[in-house]
Amino acid sequence: MADSRPVSDDSGPTSQPTAGGSADSEDEPLLVVDELQTTFYTDKETIRAVDGVSLDIEAGETVGLVGESGSGKSVTARSILGLIDDPGRVEGGSIRFDGHELTDGSWEQHRGDLSIVFQDPINSMNPVYTVGNQIREALRIHQGLRGQEAREEAISLLEAVGIPDAPRRLEEYPHQYSGGMRQRAVIAIALACDPNLLVCDEPTTALDVTIQAQILELLDDLQREEDLGILFITHDMGVIEEIADRVNVMYAGEIVETAPADRLFDEPQHPYTRGLLASIPGRTAEGDELPTIGGEVPTPTSEPDECRFAPRCPAAFDACERIHPEHVDVSSVGTAGVETTDGMSGAEGTRGMEHTAACLLHEDRFEQSPGAATFEANGGDSQ
Amino acid sequence: MKRLKYVLKRVLMAFPVLWLGTSMTWYVIYQGPVDPATNLLSSQERLTEAKVEAAREQLGLNRPPLEHYVDWTSSLFVLDLGQTWLIYPGSNVGALVVDFLPRTVWLGFWSVLIAVFVGIPLGFYAGVRSNTVADYIASISGIVWRAMPNFWLAVILLSLLVGSESLLGFDWDTLLVDLPSGVTGNPGLSYMAGDPLALFTQPGETLAAIKKILPAALVLGSASMGNEMRIGRTAVLETKNEQYVDFARAKGVSNRAIVWKHVFRNALIPLVPIVTTEAFLLIGGSVLVESVFGINGMGKLFFDAAIQGDLPLVGSLMFVFIVLLLVINIVQDILYTLIDPRVGYDAN
Ligand code: SF4
Repeated sequence: MADSRPVSDDSGPTSQPTAGGSADSEDEPLLVVDELQTTFYTDKETIRAVDGVSLDIEAGETVGLVGESGSGKSVTARSILGLIDDPGRVEGGSIRFDGHELTDGSWEQHRGDLSIVFQDPINSMNPVYTVGNQIREALRIHQGLRGQEAREEAISLLEAVGIPDAPRRLEEYPHQYSGGMRQRAVIAIALACDPNLLVCDEPTTALDVTIQAQILELLDDLQREEDLGILFITHDMGVIEEIADRVNVMYAGEIVETAPADRLFDEPQHPYTRGLLASIPGRTAEGDELPTIGGEVPTPTSEPDECRFAPRCPAAFDACERIHPEHVDVSSVGTAGVETTDGMSGAEGTRGMEHTAACLLHEDRFEQSPGAATFEANGGDSQ
Repeated sequence: MKRLKYVLKRVLMAFPVLWLGTSMTWYVIYQGPVDPATNLLSSQERLTEAKVEAAREQLGLNRPPLEHYVDWTSSLFVLDLGQTWLIYPGSNVGALVVDFLPRTVWLGFWSVLIAVFVGIPLGFYAGVRSNTVADYIASISGIVWRAMPNFWLAVILLSLLVGSESLLGFDWDTLLVDLPSGVTGNPGLSYMAGDPLALFTQPGETLAAIKKILPAALVLGSASMGNEMRIGRTAVLETKNEQYVDFARAKGVSNRAIVWKHVFRNALIPLVPIVTTEAFLLIGGSVLVESVFGINGMGKLFFDAAIQGDLPLVGSLMFVFIVLLLVINIVQDILYTLIDPRVGYDAN
């Protein structure tokens, strides 16, 4: 039991990071987000945009964060980078990067170690400065390069992200680039910061399919060369399937299912994940209309005492309105083997588990619920 | 190169506009319902058939309209602005403009400059510190300042400065630079005649001329100052939320560099047309302020000409205003190309 939750072993040393820091980071993943709470205060309401999100990323690993728009993915990304502005606030939980706690305001010391690539490349670059200027700015801050040295490094960065004729393009402005080239340039700027972790917030959504594939390939190459940890955020399950090693499914500010990518696509355990998978073209029987999940993501405004997916869930039953589901280990569900049902625990206990889902269907006490039966009967399983 | 080409294109495009504006002016003045000749005699003179005929002869109105049009416009284009009839009768309009225009330009220049150098920094400051006490104070005083009517502000400022010795405890006339002619009157710009470099080589004269124009410029620029402040604040607020600012922040750019390098330059872009539009309003619409401060500028000249019916003078002055407008427009285009590299770029 205890060995399935090694979190209790390494949370001790990391709470007092030592000067070297490397000793800690050896037992701990590159990034550990734990019970992150980001809240926005407006005149009318408080919005719990990120409501207890936990995830971690190892060096050299791509972790997907997937969900519909409005589920809180981008706010999670911005929280990790310390880019939350008024009226929002990171209110609770912890973000540990390389063994260092970031939430106590020490983002500034780690700028550049975590880099970000946004969705819309034209808005990511300042329109009034050349691409070269913006790369050199990062090189100066993070690698101390100036003048000719910086120029040469900038050229080799542009070449590394596959921009031809780099010396000339360095002197051009962002609006002179095409969409795909722009995103490459943005990645070059992000790399100029010499990051360990790259957060990609829908980096390919604004691009057409062929360019999207090229960018994904580029990220893949860069990751292997630089041993980057990547947090890849998207609403597109197809993209996730291509790039992610592990996947977190997010809904209304919470992570509802976490699993290795293969496992998630083969054995989705949360009704929401199943719904998302069913809506990928090619996964439903030919001729059938693509099933979609009706309705919209609700805006979480209060502490949940129900399952936030219940209004849209095809398998919902009466307990779903009363009880907030916790993460349960579902690693062995659906495969031949012994069922471990001891995994019912708080979200902080989920690290180390391969596959967890937050759905009452997987909690023992509701195993015989009528909803579960209906769910299976109605073909909620998209396979 | 692209940007240079863009500016050149804009300069070339100014010529058709100049021609069109001049033609319309000619049409309104010489083909309009009022015969310019009938007005050209002052009240003391008796209006006789013969005198009107003589005036028509002199204005060339007895010739076919097309011939008159070509004649009139072409003489304007070579800067022969004709002569006046009722205002300073018989003097050369060109000489009059040379006399009056510098005062107006001087006044307009300083009112634009004061507005720009007070309004924009204040607006930017308020935008950077949005929703703090400093922002509220700056914003509210900006609105109050903008809401004060020109003429009222002019009168108040005038009485304050004239009575400065007893009201404020210092004498404005002798403060720093001596102004023997008092608060009102024309700024002494004649020292620059024929030698524009005197602006820099004779700093004493320049200072006196600046001090003389300062109260009027402050009043004239007050509305634009408030405008620029408000728009500057909004522009900064908008730019602060741009994604490239977040990206710069994620890159580790210091707050100071984010504000000065990334925010301000972009926030200036929407201010360019505001400043230049106001510049023209100031130069054209300064009649009130020129009257209160007793400055003989173009605004006053144009106003008098229009009121007294000196239509040929009105026509010539219109031409001068059109030229001024076009010059300001070209300055605006140059400013644009300096600030925003996207100007003149068309994706193809
Ligand atoms: S807890 Fe209930 S409503 Fe929520 S996903 Fe599971 S079955 Fe659906």
